[in-house]
Amino acid sequence: MKYRKSLIQLLILLVLIIVILDSVFKVKENEQVVITQFGKPVGEARTSPGLKLKVPFIQKTNFFEKRFMEWDGDPNQVPTKDKKFIFVDTYARWQITDPLQFFKRLTDERGALSRIADILDGETRDHIANHNLEEVVRSSNRVPTPSGSLGEEIGDTLSTIQKGRLEIEKLILRSGNEKTSDLGIVILDVRLKRLNYVEEVQTQVYERMKSERYRIADKFRSEGAGEASRINGEKERDLKTIQSEAYRRAEEIRGQADARATSIYAGAYDQSASSRNLYSFMKSMETFEKTFDTTTTIILSTRSELYRYLMGPE
Amino acid sequence: MAFTQFNTQKIPPQWKKYTTYLNYFVVVIVLIILLFMTFFQVRPEEVGVITRFGRYVRKEEPGLHAKVPILERKYKVAVERQQKEEFGFRTTATGIQSEYTKTGTADESLMLTGDLNLADVEWVVQYRIDDPYLFLFKVREPVATMRDISEACMRQIVGDRTVNEVLTVGRAEISVSAQEEIQKICTEYSLGIKIEQVVLQDVNPPDPVKDAFNAVNQAQQEKETLINQARSEYNKVIPRARGQAEETIQMAEGYATERVNNALGEATRFNALYREYVKAPEVTKRRIYLETMGTVLPKLGHKIITDEAGNNILPLLQMQLKDK
Repeated sequence: MKYRKSLIQLLILLVLIIVILDSVFKVKENEQVVITQFGKPVGEARTSPGLKLKVPFIQKTNFFEKRFMEWDGDPNQVPTKDKKFIFVDTYARWQITDPLQFFKRLTDERGALSRIADILDGETRDHIANHNLEEVVRSSNRVPTPSGSLGEEIGDTLSTIQKGRLEIEKLILRSGNEKTSDLGIVILDVRLKRLNYVEEVQTQVYERMKSERYRIADKFRSEGAGEASRINGEKERDLKTIQSEAYRRAEEIRGQADARATSIYAGAYDQSASSRNLYSFMKSMETFEKTFDTTTTIILSTRSELYRYLMGPE
Repeated sequence: MAFTQFNTQKIPPQWKKYTTYLNYFVVVIVLIILLFMTFFQVRPEEVGVITRFGRYVRKEEPGLHAKVPILERKYKVAVERQQKEEFGFRTTATGIQSEYTKTGTADESLMLTGDLNLADVEWVVQYRIDDPYLFLFKVREPVATMRDISEACMRQIVGDRTVNEVLTVGRAEISVSAQEEIQKICTEYSLGIKIEQVVLQDVNPPDPVKDAFNAVNQAQQEKETLINQARSEYNKVIPRARGQAEETIQMAEGYATERVNNALGEATRFNALYREYVKAPEVTKRRIYLETMGTVLPKLGHKIITDEAGNNILPLLQMQLKDK
């Protein structure tokens, strides 16, 4: 008897514990809870953290995330308005703002993600197809910094855009939120994560980039050769100038010296008839000394001045 | 008490004396477990975040701390540690010579520039968790979120620049703008993350066009080389020519000086002679003539002296000279 009594006590205690445990639940900082009674939501959603109460067994707790959650779109192939095919990879962050509504409309996160994907993929496609590629890539009309000689060749300018990436992202976000407004969620932000050309376009772009660069390379080479020729020409010109100027100057100096010498000579030799006479006489004598050598034969008459006295004194 | 009563019935008599010890043993084990659940250590780079029944209650600085077991829960967040995320590459081994791989990350780094070219940009974001509460409770997957933000921002910034800017002059400016932009959006998302620095790593043209880009650099070098060669040729020739020109002029000057000096000397000499000559012209002239002959004649090979009668001697002489 004593034995059975303690067994009953134990059972009651167990039931009590279970009842208490099932009527109390904990909501963490990052959670929010919807209470359902036989599958039907009852009361307000519990969105603040802490210990909460519910009717045990009859009511069930459905936990939902309170934090911003991730959504990562699949890369979509989308044509832009100017018929360029690009892959667009978007991401978004969203939040359950009305867990009750969320529970009714989407049941769980998986359902939500698939709805968000439908909506955002569609919106992204629409908005990108409505804009030129530049509008999607660029976000402002900033003036690019010149990049030196290379930039002059290719052109450091960017075309002007009307809206730009940020504006398009905002448009997608706005229409996305319009379409999800009755789902109990809010999309915080949608951004274009990656943009890329589809393969064929990419090949074309590479070809364009290559030809552009080779064009510049050729230009550089030809500029180099041109500049080298110019310097070579300059060298020849300078060389001739230097040489001819030196020659001219040298001739001038010589000429002046010759003139001076001539005038000095004339001053001395041309004083009078007898000085002229003396000069030609002296010059002849000098010439004799210079021109006669051992191979010279001289025939002299005895009547000459030199041998006048050879035949005897007169 | 009910528990032990229930148990003792089943235990064989020879073990019975141990059961009292077993009770103590269980109590001690439970106590030890509770002790471990109560005290915890927060390391210097961390902050402890305590929630009670799921609700945030306090933050604990580094050191030894206690909490109510079971009811309170702790999270540790490394707020002082600088962490980094790599984009477009991954470090496979860190060390003095770190190793990197690019496998599977090409999509991260390939991006469109504002002039619709492509560039391959690798970068690193260094960040710190500066608000553990936000980091834990505001955004799910905060690091993945930060990665998404970084990619979107980097593309947004590169998308506003020319390919030349991205590859050359714009690097520093891009990292600064990226840092500001990423931080702005992190704050907007209340991530609790502080972006310390954005470091651009390799920024390259994509592989298929690398050769073409290198060709430009090469051509630029070639251009410089050609110009330098021409300059060096110029420098080799022109200074020498200048020297030679100087030489020519100096030689002419030398000639001039010599010529004038000679003239002056000769004129002076002549004048001196002339002054004396005038006094006795006839005799002086004869004297000079004879003196000159005196020096000239001994040098001559043949000297033939004839008088008028010997005119026919000339043909003979010619024959004699031919024989020689």
